[in-house]
Amino acid sequence: MDIRLAMVQQMHRILSKAGRGGSLPGSFALAMDPQFISRFRMPGIVILVTGTNGKTTTSNLIAESLRACGLKVINNHRGDNLNIGIATLLAESSDENYVVQADAAVIEVDELTLYRQFANLHPTAVVVTNFFRDQLDRAGEMETIIRKIMEVTEQFEGDLVLNGDDPNVLRIGENARRARVHYFSVAENTASRNVTDEASEGKFCPRCGRRLIYSYYQYAHIGRFRCPYDDFGNIHPELLVDSVDFDRGVFTACGATYHSFINAIYAIYNCASVLCTLKMLGLDMRRANEVFLNYQLKEGRNEVFHLSRPCVINLIKNPTGANEVMKDIISRPGEKNICIFLNDNDADGHDVSWIWDAHFERLDDPLVHTIICSGLRACDMALRLKYEGLGDRVQVIEDSRQAVRWLDEARLDSYVISTYTALHSTRALLRRQAGEHR
Amino acid sequence: MNLKMIWMYHDLMDLYGDKGNLQVLKIRAQQRGIDVTLDTCTIGEQRDIRGYDLFFLGGGADREQSLIFEDLLKRRAEIEQAMAEKTAFLLICGGYQLFGQYYLDQDGKKIPGLGFFDYYTVAGDRDHRCIGNIAVEASMDGQVFEAVGFENHGGQTHDVKTPFARVLSGHGNMFSGGQEGFVNDQVLATYMHGPLLPKNPMIADLVIQRALRKRSGEVELKPLDDALETRAREVMLERLHVSRRKQG
Repeated sequence: MDIRLAMVQQMHRILSKAGRGGSLPGSFALAMDPQFISRFRMPGIVILVTGTNGKTTTSNLIAESLRACGLKVINNHRGDNLNIGIATLLAESSDENYVVQADAAVIEVDELTLYRQFANLHPTAVVVTNFFRDQLDRAGEMETIIRKIMEVTEQFEGDLVLNGDDPNVLRIGENARRARVHYFSVAENTASRNVTDEASEGKFCPRCGRRLIYSYYQYAHIGRFRCPYDDFGNIHPELLVDSVDFDRGVFTACGATYHSFINAIYAIYNCASVLCTLKMLGLDMRRANEVFLNYQLKEGRNEVFHLSRPCVINLIKNPTGANEVMKDIISRPGEKNICIFLNDNDADGHDVSWIWDAHFERLDDPLVHTIICSGLRACDMALRLKYEGLGDRVQVIEDSRQAVRWLDEARLDSYVISTYTALHSTRALLRRQAGEHR
Repeated sequence: MNLKMIWMYHDLMDLYGDKGNLQVLKIRAQQRGIDVTLDTCTIGEQRDIRGYDLFFLGGGADREQSLIFEDLLKRRAEIEQAMAEKTAFLLICGGYQLFGQYYLDQDGKKIPGLGFFDYYTVAGDRDHRCIGNIAVEASMDGQVFEAVGFENHGGQTHDVKTPFARVLSGHGNMFSGGQEGFVNDQVLATYMHGPLLPKNPMIADLVIQRALRKRSGEVELKPLDDALETRAREVMLERLHVSRRKQG
């Protein structure tokens, strides 16, 4: 019995009763005891999930699938992936002697701080989704992130579940000396392309520095690549999605058919990593299908609000995510308005230059009626669109309340895309505005 | 009239949205009835650099920068010739550094630059970078104006004889150094990303005029509606508390 742990757990109980989650107990615990996280006795299965995009979705799908297989699982399902969030999760899940009460822990970990938490969490497996350019002002160069992760995975003795279609993730597998490496991959399908304007990473072979040759791209720089000189990229995936049917939203792997939780290529990769993890653990992969079918996306991920006409909101935080959201918006039928909330607070990243790396010219579509720019950097967003020749259709409404009201009164289907810190308040405004139509 | 631009190492030196600068130059020239050619050139590719009015080189991560420098050095004589023939240069971050004497990286390795100018760059230590919004008072071609951008560099550039700007808020060439970039009659070199030109259209127009000077002499550019550009710049100047208008 440890008095500090007891205090943290008591604090968690009080806050939960008051209906408040959050990472306050964790920050309290770490302030009292910087070694707090290292004191826990972890369960026999500890899976860390990291990467740039899809961490929350992937770790939740893995946790739910393990539960469907009958395991007792803890996970930081809201995406609190920094040390305070992880400390909170462990405190609330353990007994008074720091013993975590579960068969498995599935923990989403921020890719920038993974190397600091690694030894403390005693992982048995690490899942890596992908590496994209993201918040460079906070992270520095992507190369630094990858190197710091490789420093801890090099001597790691557990299992690595890796995206075999991302050259930078493959480097982790190549560099690991003692781990068992399991690659997942998605075969060429109707969404694959022979050329791309989206790939900004992974152009060169990490072994010899020569240019990689892609036989196809799935999205961004994810695809099938090979170095013609030294064969880098010639992998034998343990889990291969061999076909995808985007008309029906299903895919096949290892002789079984699965439903994707969203009909998009990046979601197929999330599913592939889940199936690969189950296979690695020797669990029944088919259990994941019911999880995929019933999975509710997190708030602000394809969430619909019923204004005068339907309004779909999506979070964007980096060029790759924004490109995928825009592809989806443009593929939807009917005339539409778009509203972009661009903020530059700490959690968004202070540098908004990434909007020039994203393909906003995709919004130049005859069905796009008006594009409202809002948020702290509304003018930067409007300029981005102006220099794509969209100036006539762009309107700056810096005040978010007015922007939402405008969308409602325009009586067209609308699509809101928002950076992180504007998401919560925008959802609240949309909910209130939708309330007027009930 | 036409404007021919070359974008060097477009597939490698393309960080922090620097490509937006070319988009702005292209559109602003086209709006003045000028035909624009934009070609790219990467490692090993044959291009007659002298045939262009504007040479653009953006920033890249250390890894990319180490991949291109040998190729760039091979083109030194040609670039020198282009400079003698009054080509305009716009160089951002890594591009800026590579035109100086050398870049001393974090491992103590010296990457030689093209050596056109006296300045040289020394990498900062791994955990300290000049990062954040920056506001400056710039001087270029006889004009003095405020400009904004976003800087994100570890390199500390020393010995700049003719800086581009005085720092109003942010770092510039060195940690709290007070001076930003390098400028002469033809070359504008800066650490300012953002990208640089969308919110600073006066710089864009001066760069276009410099490039046109090579083959067409002095060209007047008709003013464009820059209300949105001005507003975007003002938002940042106000936030950094350096807006003269607000003070005055």
